[in-house]
Amino acid sequence: MQTPLLQINQLTVTLKKRQALFKAVDNLSLTVNKGEILGLVGESGAGKSMVGSAIMGLIDKPLFISSGEIYFKKRRIDTNAQPFRGAEISMIFQDPLVSLNPLRTIGNQLVETIRTHIPLSKSEALERAKKLLEEVGIDPARINAYPHTFSGGMRQRVVIALALAPEPSLIIADEPTTALDVSVQAQILDLLKQLCKDRGTSIILITHDMGVIADTTNRVAVLYSGRLAEIGKTYDVLKNPRHPYTKGLVAATPQINGASLKNKLFQIPGSMPDLNSIPAGCAFYPRCSQAVSRCEGERPPLFDNRIACWLFDKGAKPK
Amino acid sequence: MRRFLQSDIFYSFRYSPVAIVSFVIILFIILTAIFADLIAPNNPFDPASLNLMNGFTPPMQANDFTGEIFLMGTDDQGRDLFSTILYGLRISLFVGVMAVMLAMLLGVMLGLVAGFVGGWIDSFIMRFADIQMTFPSILVAMLIYGVAKGILPPEVRYEMSIAVLIISIGLSEWVPFARTVRGSTLVEKEKEYIIAAKMVGLSRYQIMIRHILPNVLSPVLVIATITFALAIIAEATLSFLGVGVPTTKPSLGTLIRIGQDFLFSGEWWILFFPAVTLLAFALSINLFGDWLRDTLNPKLK
Amino acid sequence: MSYVTASRLTRRYDLSDPWFIRMIAGRKTNVLTAVNQVSFSIEKGTTYALVGESGSGKSTIAKMLAGVLTPSQGSIEIDGQDFNNPGLDNANKKLLRQRVQMVFQSPYASLNPRWKIGDILLEPINAFNLIEDKASRHKRVIELLEQVGMSAHDQTKYPHEFSGGQRQRISIARALACHPELIICDEPTSALDVSVQAQVLNLLKDLQNENTLTYLFISHDLALISNMADKIGVLKDGELVEEGKTSDLLANPQHAYTKMLLAAAPDIGAYIS
Repeated sequence: MQTPLLQINQLTVTLKKRQALFKAVDNLSLTVNKGEILGLVGESGAGKSMVGSAIMGLIDKPLFISSGEIYFKKRRIDTNAQPFRGAEISMIFQDPLVSLNPLRTIGNQLVETIRTHIPLSKSEALERAKKLLEEVGIDPARINAYPHTFSGGMRQRVVIALALAPEPSLIIADEPTTALDVSVQAQILDLLKQLCKDRGTSIILITHDMGVIADTTNRVAVLYSGRLAEIGKTYDVLKNPRHPYTKGLVAATPQINGASLKNKLFQIPGSMPDLNSIPAGCAFYPRCSQAVSRCEGERPPLFDNRIACWLFDKGAKPK
Repeated sequence: MRRFLQSDIFYSFRYSPVAIVSFVIILFIILTAIFADLIAPNNPFDPASLNLMNGFTPPMQANDFTGEIFLMGTDDQGRDLFSTILYGLRISLFVGVMAVMLAMLLGVMLGLVAGFVGGWIDSFIMRFADIQMTFPSILVAMLIYGVAKGILPPEVRYEMSIAVLIISIGLSEWVPFARTVRGSTLVEKEKEYIIAAKMVGLSRYQIMIRHILPNVLSPVLVIATITFALAIIAEATLSFLGVGVPTTKPSLGTLIRIGQDFLFSGEWWILFFPAVTLLAFALSINLFGDWLRDTLNPKLK
Repeated sequence: MSYVTASRLTRRYDLSDPWFIRMIAGRKTNVLTAVNQVSFSIEKGTTYALVGESGSGKSTIAKMLAGVLTPSQGSIEIDGQDFNNPGLDNANKKLLRQRVQMVFQSPYASLNPRWKIGDILLEPINAFNLIEDKASRHKRVIELLEQVGMSAHDQTKYPHEFSGGQRQRISIARALACHPELIICDEPTSALDVSVQAQVLNLLKDLQNENTLTYLFISHDLALISNMADKIGVLKDGELVEEGKTSDLLANPQHAYTKMLLAAAPDIGAYIS
């Protein structure tokens, strides 16, 4: 079996507030393979952005990694992410407006990024920058333009070009299309898929939008309250969700389907708990319609490398 | 009350030594000023109680002629410096508080109107503010003071001098309030709850006062604190320059002026004690204001 | 006759430089037409959705129907009455205002952060003078809170103590306070998570059935709209390019832009079927 590109082992990210500790990410393990797009889906506060930041080493006070390891290409990176950050792993953020320096041309920013990681002369770097712009669908003649002359979608393409500049093996995209229009969103997602196919770059796509997951990802990990609820091939997870939370999410997502006209959407009662009131056992227990008594006190481990739910514990008998 | 004690602000206060110390100093000075007549050994404003022979007595030393001992010594007219400082603080505090309130009232109102109504009213108010800010505030205060003194008939000049002082300092300090409030108003007025208020049919005035005002006040508190320190110093400066309070009711500034004359002939205490008091007070207010601004800043959370 | 009729609505913004500078620098006038001759009608008790991307003019139309923006051209009729009729006196204007309320996109900016929930809900009741005595007004506040699935003791709390979904419920309660007939929902769930969105949308549906409400629903999310609306209008760059019953439009889009939107929209339904 091929070794995974990225391996996260039992990662816990803790928040320290007023002398008390809260777990923003709790004992989370997952892997990313070469050449795949993994989706990290969850609602706000589920911890998905936190996982992305942890991989990049961007966790700052009052948050810190309290336990667990992150391995990239079999080397440990959670203790020292600096050499990899930006070079082999790069990141794309949600708002292209603030991701680019408004005072410098995009060519300038691209060249700087390239030369930071790859020893090239200025003219060589410029050539490479132009090729990158072509690859992301921007006319290379605009290399000396300033960010404000681009629309939101084009800016996000520039950000993607910047992320590709150091030839990374892994790109973490944190809600890259949330701030964009639907038509532009489709283009950006297609671009990401294309890049993955052409270059073999793995992508972690963090989003709250199930539709985006359906359109773009190969595998998906569903997060709830900082924990992994379910993980698997996207088609499997969406077509036959096992975890009650995943089932609820899929059922609650509106579909463009004549039959669903004005029917009431399935709604999961309640809401995701705050950091300071996460239940003792399974975090989803208070809202779960299929809960058994074991769920209240014991947190389920990940069964089958797929699902963290007591209903799928083949050993125990459900009550 | 309990809500406040559990709040983030109070928590930050408890753990900030600077905030606690400066607050204690401010409280101490304010309390001694309020209860001046209970604390002070004698009333320096009563000319009858003064004994010129007590003049120039060093601190904690018996006077050559009368044998009286004064905690901080006496000034040139025989006034006990300690009592004078306490009574002078009263005047400084009164002028400071009133001037800040005037500046705040004027500045907040003008800022609200400029931000909410916009158009030429906004331009007019802001250009006027810009023009005023090109002059040092002390000069503005002196200008207003001079004009007032010119207008008022001579009989009332004496009693009105404190009022004139308050007005002149207050009118020179309104601009920071107006600018900040205008900025916050511009932000708040685009928010949807304002549209909701319009849809309910509220008038512009009602929206400004009921909806926008409560949301633009938190930076005002910080500016008020710092302006308070500036007002105290402005009053001291004006008194130092001789255009402040009358010399029979000396404030800290007057004492400093008097003391300056005698500094190099050896009577250092006349300058020293009032200056240190002024310094401690203004510094504490500034430090407290800084802490307050940092705590209330939502971006730093 | 339709309950709401918008005829040839137009809204222009004059972005020209001042006359003086134009004369000196030789620049032309610059007028932005945000909404251009848009006409549509809504039947009572139904939901009409306006879908479009940013810059399509949908928010501008929402504000014009809410009465906070005056159209440069065109008219709006609600139950036969001209909304912007200059001849209306204040009393009639107020009555007309009472019939239209709005639920906004941002749960954070739509409630005054310094007001208690109870006061926020009392404001429309007081402003429209619908109930005479104080006690009944307070009862009405509790009634509104319960109608949207919240409880009476929420009225002493402040907005920041609630989650995004709860805040939207409070916004809906506020919109209901004066017994409106038309509610304009401007992307009310865009800022909410999927499971919360489902709760809020279901609430809106229930309220529509219970109170015979008419909705103008603005969104960019076709999947959401297909679940909420009876009729859809597609906006592009300020113009209404296509209009039709939801099932028709989704099954048989005519205009190229509509087809593009449908193709681009991420749809979990298409994936798993």
